Amino acid sequence: MKGGYTGKILRVNLTSKSISRIETEKYMEFGGGHGIGSAIFFDLVAEQLPFDAFDPRNLIIIVASPFAGTMMPGSGRCEVQGLGPMLYPIEWFGHSNFGGRFTAQLKFAGWDGIVVEGSSSDPVWINIIDDKVTIESARGIWGMDTWDTQQEISRRVIPGLKYGEWSELAGDDGFTTQIPAVVCCGPAGEKKSRLGALLHGPGSQAALCGFGGVFGSKNLKAISAIGSGTVPIADPKAFMEARLWYRQFQWDVDNPREVERFNTRAWSHNSGRPSGGNTLNGQLPLVPARVAACASCPRACRLRLATADSNESVCAGTMAVRLERGAPLKLSRQANDLMQKYGLGHWQFMPLQVYVQNLYKRGILGKGKKIESNLPFELMGTIAYVDTLMKQISNREGVGNDLAEGCARFAEKYGLYEEDVNSGVLNLAYWGTRDHYDPRIQVEWAFGSLFGERDLMLHSFANHNFHWMANSGDPYLTAEEAARLYSEALVPYNDDPYLADFGDGPTGIYSDSKVKLIAWVKHYEKFWIGGGGFCGWRWPQTFTNNTADRRGATPHAEQRFWNAVTGDNRTFVDHMSVGHRIYTLDRSIWVLQGRHRDMEVFPDYIYDRKSPGHIMPMIVDGKWTYARGEGRTLDRAKVEDFKTRFYKFEGYNPDNGYPTRATLEKMGLKKVADLLQKRGRLG
Amino acid sequence: MSGGKKPSGEGVNAKKYSRRDFLVTGGTVVAVDALMTNNLAAAAVVPAAAAAPAPTSYPVSKGYLVYDSKKCAGCTTCMLACSLTHHGVESLSLARIQIMQDSFGKFPNDLKVAPCRQCVTPVCVQNCPAGAAFVDAANGNIRRIDSNKCVGCRTCIRMCPQQPHRTVWNKFAKRAQKCDLCIDTPYWNEKGGPGGKQACVETCPMKALRFVSEAPDQKETDGYDVNLRNDNWLNLGLVDDSRIVPPIMAAQAKKKPARRSAR
Repeated sequence: MKGGYTGKILRVNLTSKSISRIETEKYMEFGGGHGIGSAIFFDLVAEQLPFDAFDPRNLIIIVASPFAGTMMPGSGRCEVQGLGPMLYPIEWFGHSNFGGRFTAQLKFAGWDGIVVEGSSSDPVWINIIDDKVTIESARGIWGMDTWDTQQEISRRVIPGLKYGEWSELAGDDGFTTQIPAVVCCGPAGEKKSRLGALLHGPGSQAALCGFGGVFGSKNLKAISAIGSGTVPIADPKAFMEARLWYRQFQWDVDNPREVERFNTRAWSHNSGRPSGGNTLNGQLPLVPARVAACASCPRACRLRLATADSNESVCAGTMAVRLERGAPLKLSRQANDLMQKYGLGHWQFMPLQVYVQNLYKRGILGKGKKIESNLPFELMGTIAYVDTLMKQISNREGVGNDLAEGCARFAEKYGLYEEDVNSGVLNLAYWGTRDHYDPRIQVEWAFGSLFGERDLMLHSFANHNFHWMANSGDPYLTAEEAARLYSEALVPYNDDPYLADFGDGPTGIYSDSKVKLIAWVKHYEKFWIGGGGFCGWRWPQTFTNNTADRRGATPHAEQRFWNAVTGDNRTFVDHMSVGHRIYTLDRSIWVLQGRHRDMEVFPDYIYDRKSPGHIMPMIVDGKWTYARGEGRTLDRAKVEDFKTRFYKFEGYNPDNGYPTRATLEKMGLKKVADLLQKRGRLG
Repeated sequence: MSGGKKPSGEGVNAKKYSRRDFLVTGGTVVAVDALMTNNLAAAAVVPAAAAAPAPTSYPVSKGYLVYDSKKCAGCTTCMLACSLTHHGVESLSLARIQIMQDSFGKFPNDLKVAPCRQCVTPVCVQNCPAGAAFVDAANGNIRRIDSNKCVGCRTCIRMCPQQPHRTVWNKFAKRAQKCDLCIDTPYWNEKGGPGGKQACVETCPMKALRFVSEAPDQKETDGYDVNLRNDNWLNLGLVDDSRIVPPIMAAQAKKKPARRSAR
């Protein structure tokens, strides 16, 4: 088998309870992960679109990358795809991913991926032990929280499992010391909450899109994978040499560079140093903890604590549930852990909690109000309050039944959407997901999300590297130096020196340079992030404090590792063109669902409300500088013009944003063009 | 510094061995750990090598792997480097060093590191009925298994006194294998063994593994688990005792409140 692949993708039909396989080879031209998943989705169900996310025809697609199960740095994430019930106004074909070790175990079990279709008549879970796959009854598990679910399933997969000892797997003479890798939904997902996340381990969420709800709609509680097999490597020596070469880009834990400058907590996000992902153990006295990495990750941003609370949660997973100011961190850890146990998506719950409080304070929601609710608002800011809120959402009790539909649909039901979203009270900037970094300034994130289907949620394109470096107050590169290194890394647009100009001048946020940047972001997102199982906290690495010349690993590392693992002889640009192809395929699926350029607009607040400022590199008065852009609003006409140029650049019809036949056929996607034409939506 | 032991630069009496390692009684060897846990399968009494009485002492290995189980991040890169360099494939089950984790567990018991100990008294060598497990005098007395001689009887696996056992079953070759400190790595252009490099040590991003030439304390069950952390580690906010204040935090506390965190 070709290096990096096991050769087969598991196909499970829960309606018929049948198990079959798809040959991976048929889809290898799409790389791995996301690309293969999109191609499978198109082949299996695109002709039937549109249908709802909770329709049994919807698919849960998990395809591992060729890097999964290998020591490729930062490739441990698991991509999940399918129609996302959280997304608005249409449940787009979406993606979400989670860290940990699930894809590694899936590969060691001998599978490149899993496609789940149909809906079971009774609650079940899927048990993958090497090449043995069974659909098991979830009796006794259905109703459990995500933590209990995973531990109970581990016990069922390996009876007599003893942590720290070898276990034999299902009589095939294979042994492992590892605990089964389980991904599951919680009570929220079971009740088809659109906030439903997938959980792996205590804190690794596939938070976006609401795939926990899709699990629930299929009566699917969990998928477990454990394997004792191997992942082939085309050129093991070259792979080992590449891994050793890559060490220069890592944080040196014993002797970090320029220790006085970098060895502070303020640098945790852009230096790539271990820990830093969990925001809830930063006050003295510190809880004893270890850094806990996803499979093969040299960064290790997560923690496991002596108290075992907030284990492996990072970033939004440690700050979505908010208690009153000054609440002890211990309680905040417990509050966020409740969210993980219920299986609620952090990026959905975060704005919802804020919005509920806003409606209460406005006198719209509460006892005897327009929106009736018995939530204990007198306890707001306490564990008891947030637990009640999460319980009502997860069980669809009281107002929780409406809240389980997510912010956008909840607001729409009560006639509040137009007013509250356009005013920014409810800051759903794109597709029902809240904004993240100021969309008026950090536009790679804003446009990258708008031309996608959800919040971009990728920090290494221009966020950790630029924003958080500058925000530290002690940037290790001047804006000009950083912009130069950045452009040099963004092959094939490396001859454009203005890719990092986030000003609003001629080379700024509306410029052709940004058209190229957004294209680069989408193509890299599709092939490398989604296809390579890459972590957005690790890749791309455009520059770094860890090397003497500050150059990062991108674009050299990606192709070097890919070729060593797979045996291909391709360049970074070759792969980026596949990324373009995958993005175009995704876009075609969205078009089949109803996407049109007229929908790709921001709510009014982004055009009308002035930005408080957000530090980024900009050219101001002809000079590179770090500036905040306070007071900026986006200009509607300029955004529309930007869209036109972006569509043309990508080969789409600027009138509607639909991919053209010429573009699709050039990419070998004639069947996609044919279907779009059949639906009258060819660009 | 936080707790734990520094890797010993001092020599250890090479002739000493621990009763915990094994008991020899009238030509039979019984794994003490197994007896203690009432694990009947593991405690099976196995005839020692029939051809000749097994020696009771061996020349000590000139190389050992020590580790810091509190520094390990559980990325399993060491395991994958091991299987890659020895077998040309990636596999956790073929790795001769095992990292085990319980994501729901409490630090430090949430993770265990299990490399071969290159035991001063190698029970695997002592009990191999095929003579496949041997002390490699030509390569620093490393305890190895000759896969050409191994008959797949799994005696070395049953007899290894460690939990989990450090001799590893290769289900594809139907042979046992163990850490050779990278003497035989056909997929890596580096010299291994004493004086050479070890794939796991070289690739560990946390530098939680180290090669040492002196035998760690054989009496201690965790004699190989040492402290490899310095102040730069503490400054990551990683302590093993709540009373420890990382130097950088102490300095920052005097200056200004912490900057708000990123989302």
